[in-house]
Amino acid sequence: MKTQGEIAEASVNSAGVSVDDVAFTYHEGSRPALSGVRFAQATGQMIGVMGASGAGKSTLAKCLNRIVPEFEGGEFRGAISIGGEPIGALRVCDVAPKVGMVFQDFEAQLFSTNVAHEVAFAMEQAGMERAAMVARIGPALLAVGLHGFEHRDPTSLSGGEKQRLAIASVLALRPSVIVLDEPTTDLDPEGKLEVFELIRKLRDDGLSMIVVEHESEELRACDRIIVLRDGAIALDGPPRDVFANFEVLEECGVRPPGLGRVLRMLGIPAIPESGEHAYSEIVKAYPRLTTHSAAAAPSSPAAAANNTAESPLVQVEQLSFSYPGGPPGPAPKVLDAIDLRIDPGDFLAIVGQNGSGKTTLAKQIVGLLKPTAGRVMLNGKDRAALRPAETAREAAYVFQNPDNQIFAPTVADEVAFGPRNFGLDGDEIGRRSDEVLAAVGLSEQRDSDPFLLSKGERQRLAVASMLALRPRLLILDEPTTGLDHREQLRMMELVGKLNAEGIAIVIITHTPWLVAEYARRVVLMRKGRKIFDGGVREFFMRDELLKSSSFRPPEVTQLSRRFNTLALTPAEMAAWVKGHA
Amino acid sequence: MPIYLYIDRGSFVHRLHPTVKVLALFVMFWSVYWVDNPIALVPIGIFMLCVAQVTHSWPNFYRLRWLFIMTFTAMVPWLFYRQGPVLVHVPLFHLSRYNLIFGFGRGIKLAELLAASILFLSTTKIEEFTLGLQRLGVSYRVGFAISLAFRLVPLFIDSAVTVVDAQRLRGYDFDQGGAFERVRRYVPVVIPVFMGSLRKANNMAMALEARGFGHTGEPSTYIEYPVVAADVIAFLTLVAIGAGYFMLYYSGLGGIGAVK
Repeated sequence: MKTQGEIAEASVNSAGVSVDDVAFTYHEGSRPALSGVRFAQATGQMIGVMGASGAGKSTLAKCLNRIVPEFEGGEFRGAISIGGEPIGALRVCDVAPKVGMVFQDFEAQLFSTNVAHEVAFAMEQAGMERAAMVARIGPALLAVGLHGFEHRDPTSLSGGEKQRLAIASVLALRPSVIVLDEPTTDLDPEGKLEVFELIRKLRDDGLSMIVVEHESEELRACDRIIVLRDGAIALDGPPRDVFANFEVLEECGVRPPGLGRVLRMLGIPAIPESGEHAYSEIVKAYPRLTTHSAAAAPSSPAAAANNTAESPLVQVEQLSFSYPGGPPGPAPKVLDAIDLRIDPGDFLAIVGQNGSGKTTLAKQIVGLLKPTAGRVMLNGKDRAALRPAETAREAAYVFQNPDNQIFAPTVADEVAFGPRNFGLDGDEIGRRSDEVLAAVGLSEQRDSDPFLLSKGERQRLAVASMLALRPRLLILDEPTTGLDHREQLRMMELVGKLNAEGIAIVIITHTPWLVAEYARRVVLMRKGRKIFDGGVREFFMRDELLKSSSFRPPEVTQLSRRFNTLALTPAEMAAWVKGHA
Repeated sequence: MPIYLYIDRGSFVHRLHPTVKVLALFVMFWSVYWVDNPIALVPIGIFMLCVAQVTHSWPNFYRLRWLFIMTFTAMVPWLFYRQGPVLVHVPLFHLSRYNLIFGFGRGIKLAELLAASILFLSTTKIEEFTLGLQRLGVSYRVGFAISLAFRLVPLFIDSAVTVVDAQRLRGYDFDQGGAFERVRRYVPVVIPVFMGSLRKANNMAMALEARGFGHTGEPSTYIEYPVVAADVIAFLTLVAIGAGYFMLYYSGLGGIGAVK
């Protein structure tokens, strides 16, 4: 790994981005968001930036195009150059032709009514001639795989397509560097795949890029990884060196790649660069393993347990649903003849592409929508006949974005809101509030302003406010989106604990490792239909189904499939190898 | 379901110069404004129905049919207004010929204002709206902000619906109490929507700056809009309609007293 001095020296000769001793403190910040950050990016280099929430990743990205400190004010020190030219005296809009920025919120960065206009937008702002714009739109769309989409309405594109369009619109300006700030956080697996394939392609084409990302597996193709901790660089080097520092990564709130964890557990010193590499290292260290082919995959206890339990908590029968208010004629079915049973104590993951009907199904269960056909039974009673309070005692739903419900002045008031609406007395409300705040680890913040909590804490507060209604089933829509690794683990530990206490859990998620490590049963949705319902192991054994659904299993699971077995976690994989060596 | 009203059909109305379309919206509002007489409002109503047919805008009229129904409730308050000889004796109501005609006229008026807006948004892209305003002397920044507001409205409505759902799940009843109490009960919706809107607006502003918004005071345009014969004809027609309706007002024929 390079020393700070070597990096500073490289910056002098670099034709890419040079960041020299940058420090920044937000106006309202009590501590620096960045301090002493120094690195230089050579032309054509791809740098991945990682770290926990609040480590300074986004602040660093925003410094590169002057959003910090021009737009988000504070005290800025240091110097940044792009292509050898200092940008300290420039406005954000003046830096735009040099630094293309792609944000996480893909809805907020599209402004036009068709794709070609969208690509032209930044060029219009730069005052380019129309002929020059026309000459650049085609190649930019071609580069991101959206050629032929010129007349499409951007709002009609999928999440992955929208993010690729955002990349095309900055590509058209031919910037020196493209900065992508968590570009796939809000995307489904197919969208993630599309965007990362594009990022790798652009890197192969020699474009300089800086990618802020939580998932270490996705950044393995980078030339260099920078890990931030409390605003300072904790690790900086090629991926194989950075990902070898397990302890530091964990301290920085970064999830080490699963393949590396397996090899470490097996005492193999190599840092795998791919599944193929990990496989060959394991086979080299344990040559007898290859003779253990065709080992049977472990059975699927959840699938076996299904339908044998007591009366179901939820029974969905031939449920179909179409949104009303569309044009005359048969409306498209968002849910089509769904049958689903959820038993007490179940832990179910609902997966599928955006628009496949996952959230609509959840809203049907909790009574936010009424079926067009079929019915939902909660604890043996038709949900349509239940009052809201009765429904809430059976099933609660936590929205993906906790900010959709938070309004109260204190954490305790926010939790008490539901029980108060259901007419509980003050003592009972107090008891429940204490209980659920302790359960989610927010007792100490009970008098805090909810808007001042971190995203992970707000997510746990949203769970607490539904738990206060004492539901028997808790449905969580994307409970870990936007959280760093530490917050994700904390959230899932909470969910696992609630499940162990007897609350049935349904998580709607796009994250394969969450499904593998926490769920016991999976429902796969596609175009409003349920196309798989069974145990997690059985699900990950269905290679063709996974491929056709663009649902990529965790790397460890993919590795285990090479050995013709199935492991859901690094520990399971390592144990299998040791057991069969 | 698309969140915008624009329907890409390529009719001659769609192809009109953006400035003519902005002017058309203004003329429709102008004409309807001057006239209270329901009979005088009929020709412009028929004109709008013809435009809806030509531009294939009916899906948007269907989407917003509840708004049309609501506009006609505007005539109800006039049934309480005491003016003119009573036709039918009903407790509380003062059903006079004057009230009925005036209320009916108000209903048509509001419906036509709504129809003009739907036709405009069905046939005009956001970029065209900005350009149209720009050509009429509005600065690019102001024109862009106005057109962006149209883009944000459906996003905010969507966000409000989600927040209402989230609070309903916690047993919140929005329909309790009298009128004042009901307004107060929307606080648990207003705060999250407001905070979400601020965040969204902040993200958009950041993304706009990052795309070079403001780099030049008057950006170039990707789409060129040459003025053609159809624009001139449409312009003259609109001026004639606007002038005609002003004459109806000026001559007294547009007033309620002209109805025999």
